[in-house]
Amino acid sequence: MASLVLLIGFVILAIITPWITDRADFNAINTGDNPTNHPPDGDYLLGTDRYGRSVALQLMWGARVSLFVGFAATVLTIVIGVLIGLTAGFFGGWIDSVLMRITDWFLVIPFLPTAIVLAAVLERSLWTIVMVIGITSWPSSARLIRSQVLSVRERLYVDRARALGAGRLHIVGRHILPNVTPLILASATLAVPISILTETTLSFLGLGDPTEISWGGMLDQAQQSSAVTSGHWWYYLPPGVAIMLVVLAFTIFGRALEEVLDPRLRKR
Amino acid sequence: MKGRSWGIAIAVAALGALIGTVQVTGSATASGAEAPGSTVTLTVGLQQDLDSPNVTAGYLVSSYELWNLQYATLTDKAADDFATIPGLAEEWTASEDGLTYTYTRRDGLKWSDGEPLTAEDVAWTINTSRDQEWINHSATTANLTATALDDRTVEITTSVPDPKLPIMDVYILPKHIWEGPAAGDITTYEALDGVGSGPFTLQEWKPGQEWTMVANPNYWKGRPAIDQVVFRLYTEGGAMVAALENGEIDAAHDVPADLFVEMQGRDDIVTIAGEQGGFTELAMNGMQGGLGDGHPALLDLNVRHAVAHAINRDELFERVALSIGTQRDTLGVSANTEWNPEIPEDQQLNYDPAAANQLLDDGGYLDTDGDGVREMPGGGQKLIFRYAERSESSQSAGIRELVTGWLAEVGISTEVSVYDDTQLTDVIAAGEYDIFVWGWTPFVDPDPLLSYFTCDQVTTDVESPLYNDANWCSDEYDALYVEQNQELDHARRVDLVHQMITLFHNEATYVVLYHDADTQAYRTDRFEGWLRQPAGVGPVLFSNTSPTYFNLRPIGAGSGGEDDDMSTGMLILLIAGGVVVVGAIGYFIMRSRSRRDEKE
Amino acid sequence: MRAGFVIRKVVGALSTLAFVVVFNFFLFRIVNRDPVNSMFRGRNLKPEKLEELRRKFNLDGSKWDQFVAYVRQLLHGDLGYSLKGSRPVATVIGEALWPTVLLVGTSTLLAMIGITLGYRAGWRRGSAFDTTATSFSMLTYSMPEFWIGMVFLGFFSAKLGWFPVGGLEDPGSHASGLSKWLDELHHMMLPALVLGIAYVGEYMIVARSAMIETLNEDYLQLARAKGMREDEVRRRHAVPNARLPVVSLSAINFGFIFGGAIAVESIFSWPGIGQATYLAVRGPDLPMLQGLFLLISAGVILANLVADLLYGKLDPRVLGR
Repeated sequence: MASLVLLIGFVILAIITPWITDRADFNAINTGDNPTNHPPDGDYLLGTDRYGRSVALQLMWGARVSLFVGFAATVLTIVIGVLIGLTAGFFGGWIDSVLMRITDWFLVIPFLPTAIVLAAVLERSLWTIVMVIGITSWPSSARLIRSQVLSVRERLYVDRARALGAGRLHIVGRHILPNVTPLILASATLAVPISILTETTLSFLGLGDPTEISWGGMLDQAQQSSAVTSGHWWYYLPPGVAIMLVVLAFTIFGRALEEVLDPRLRKR
Repeated sequence: MKGRSWGIAIAVAALGALIGTVQVTGSATASGAEAPGSTVTLTVGLQQDLDSPNVTAGYLVSSYELWNLQYATLTDKAADDFATIPGLAEEWTASEDGLTYTYTRRDGLKWSDGEPLTAEDVAWTINTSRDQEWINHSATTANLTATALDDRTVEITTSVPDPKLPIMDVYILPKHIWEGPAAGDITTYEALDGVGSGPFTLQEWKPGQEWTMVANPNYWKGRPAIDQVVFRLYTEGGAMVAALENGEIDAAHDVPADLFVEMQGRDDIVTIAGEQGGFTELAMNGMQGGLGDGHPALLDLNVRHAVAHAINRDELFERVALSIGTQRDTLGVSANTEWNPEIPEDQQLNYDPAAANQLLDDGGYLDTDGDGVREMPGGGQKLIFRYAERSESSQSAGIRELVTGWLAEVGISTEVSVYDDTQLTDVIAAGEYDIFVWGWTPFVDPDPLLSYFTCDQVTTDVESPLYNDANWCSDEYDALYVEQNQELDHARRVDLVHQMITLFHNEATYVVLYHDADTQAYRTDRFEGWLRQPAGVGPVLFSNTSPTYFNLRPIGAGSGGEDDDMSTGMLILLIAGGVVVVGAIGYFIMRSRSRRDEKE
Repeated sequence: MRAGFVIRKVVGALSTLAFVVVFNFFLFRIVNRDPVNSMFRGRNLKPEKLEELRRKFNLDGSKWDQFVAYVRQLLHGDLGYSLKGSRPVATVIGEALWPTVLLVGTSTLLAMIGITLGYRAGWRRGSAFDTTATSFSMLTYSMPEFWIGMVFLGFFSAKLGWFPVGGLEDPGSHASGLSKWLDELHHMMLPALVLGIAYVGEYMIVARSAMIETLNEDYLQLARAKGMREDEVRRRHAVPNARLPVVSLSAINFGFIFGGAIAVESIFSWPGIGQATYLAVRGPDLPMLQGLFLLISAGVILANLVADLLYGKLDPRVLGR
């Protein structure tokens, strides 16, 4: 459960950052007197960048954006996935065939390149990133939900509910949704780290919102200012480590959750 | 079974690696023996690939360097001051009316492939480029007609008076190579022929990696002292600097500003901040074209002056440009500095937040609701300006953060959107912005850049955008423009241009932030004879006519030296190869043994 | 293999490809951008010349006309022109193809070590080896591959100077034969290692769980009962049965490695498809990006098809489905 502690720690840090630090402290108009490209020391725990802005502060504020995108994109992914998966699984027939054909298309075409071309033609903003991730990563959750719905639907009590004349919406709301909820939860937890990694890559490629600071954006800035080849390690190591820790924590926690919630996995 | 084929595959790979290991020692010494002395190679690092070696298709700076080296021109420009000097033509005469010029080419000119270079090549290039509107020629040749009077003489006639003549700086192409491609769509020709009349000609282009140019033995000034020039591409400036510092390359163009500043302390490397008049400006929507929805406050000259006063250009120059270039508040209209006026002290718009606040207060732009943002006089629309940031420049994020911060301090709020160049061009044409930051790089003659701010160039139809991105113009400016365009007295023309630039400065639709410089660096231990164009301030590479390359001489016999750094990595490679070999052999033996066990 | 199965799979792949073509066209044309003006900023071109250039980049006509023209071009292998000059997109991609095949191929081979490791880990589930291997793969999964690249580049190239900072070969190298081969290997070492490390974990995980899946199968007990040694049981019965999921993973991973190569190639200035994509995104050079996306998608679709067919060949039960 160390992963859960770490996760909660990151989320709390992201939430309280605006109260314990001041965004203006690393606004370039206020950092004119700071040393630039300064290695970490007592004054600047993680050093400064070329405009004298504290890397530690950027890291804290970047956590907010990276986590926000991670959660928001996951919500979108799951919503699309659940809608399509539920519809296909519940109605079956040609609706199912068509939806699954589309799902297959999206499953086969490579995820990251698709996200990149989408982000490249759209306007640069956080919402674009969220949307792009949502559009490209829903298919696997749709498939998962559909198969679960199929197995739930076959179970007796749905038949009984149908026999009693319950409406379709009622069946979905009362019987199917509660049964697939644990699975949705688990797959959502595992989708968050993927969203965060995707945001990181897109921002690194210069497709992120340049007016917001995210961990991927920091890596992009580090690359653009040649931090790697000029030995400014304090600029590119911390965001990478932060990403690694958050993704690791989410993945471990998600797997654990999956095992608890999915009886098929527990059996093994 | 599949397992067996695996083992065999590994063994084959291992055998290959083993053979490789044995042969390395031999090949290393062989290449070491033949490298030094035989070819003198200048290696230049840069970050922009050629777009096309075809002069009728490409338009990037890197391609211009190629053409500057490959194609000579009728008249040349002096390295020091751009004075017009003989090139392929050794002399020329003007007719009385100034509309016809007759050029006489040098005797014995040859293309690099040995074919004679004649007046017919010149006439064909000028006439065909005019008819087919080649993008890099037609600005000069649009009104010209050329006739080859004989093998050495060409007569050029202009249909309208042209103060730029007798300068004829278009690239002359070999007719015997280009005639074929010109019969179809000439822009699709690959142009890898490498036939030219300049000091170096293209030998090989490996897109994404490098291109190589070799000395032209038939160059009219004689064969260059350098045998070949390699232009090496890097996707990241830091990698390029590392290559320069360890001697993999001899010179570098477009060095990242931070690294440029760091390198200034080294004694084996010379850094050059080369200026050619390029500048970065903050533009406000002048709304002259009647398109879009610029903020009404920007129509007020006092508001524009307030914005200018709110911006600390000194700090921008120091912190964003790292003091590379020149701090200058006027348009750069030429690579030649004589065209730059000095703005009288009482007209300068320097950093003065108090003055900015005063101007806004006096104009009635007050913050009546206390939210920190001013409103239009009498309340109503807030002073929230849409700030269009250009994504394709490494400095624009820094400029935006500082400028929007300073504007906030005088009660002007901003909404930032980021655009690539295509999107930004569209946004500007549609007039759907309040502020943007971009830049221009001028030619040697000031006319083209000055023409952009005339009323003719204001966009009035979104579908066909024109050049006036200040979206401002005035009759006074236009009258001065016409006058300088026909003024044949040089001193008078300079004065007229100074007046135009001062007028444009005072209107403050453009706040020129600073003049940029090309950041270049070269090693001192390889070559000497680096030329800045123009003298003292210009770049040594990628300058207007690129005179450096022919002028360079190697120092001593120094070359190579990269092998020292290679050995450790190579050693690791070999050890890794060895481990794979041993491991694979071991695996293979064990497998066959267990197989034998099974059979028993 | 039954012909029906093959046909069904091929038709499926073709329909996906058709979807990509339509998606690709509308994605790029829906924004309807006219790059010609910004390309020639400051060049004093006549409006007629600009009009001609727009025609060249296929920016005129109605959407439907453009689509028809686009499909017709594709059928002729014509991907249009890059905005960087007038080079045909197909030519640029062709040049970048080999370096990427080399890099992605090498790193895939490296990553496949993970299969063997995964089988071993799964066979001895819960052992120290298993724990180490699983932790390692979790760790590499959590790191953006380009960040591993940045760290390696910063340490091995910039700090220690063991490897070149980028490129395919040394500047101005006209070497051939073995020295060229060694030079390229020297340059490829770091990027291949980075991609290999980034994906070795994935192979390991899948191989491991495939192995665990087979552990309880009856035939293993049967083999043991017949007196086979553990090692032999694993090699001759467990591994062949755990091979199926690994085959399909390899195909899917092909797409992922391609994606990962975009950022990694750009870090190491490796002149392949990835770097071309990076430059096209940064440009942005939309015709180039469009062509690259089509090519990458087609490659991945093909890899999936091959995997499906292989799957059918390896496991006859699949045919019925």
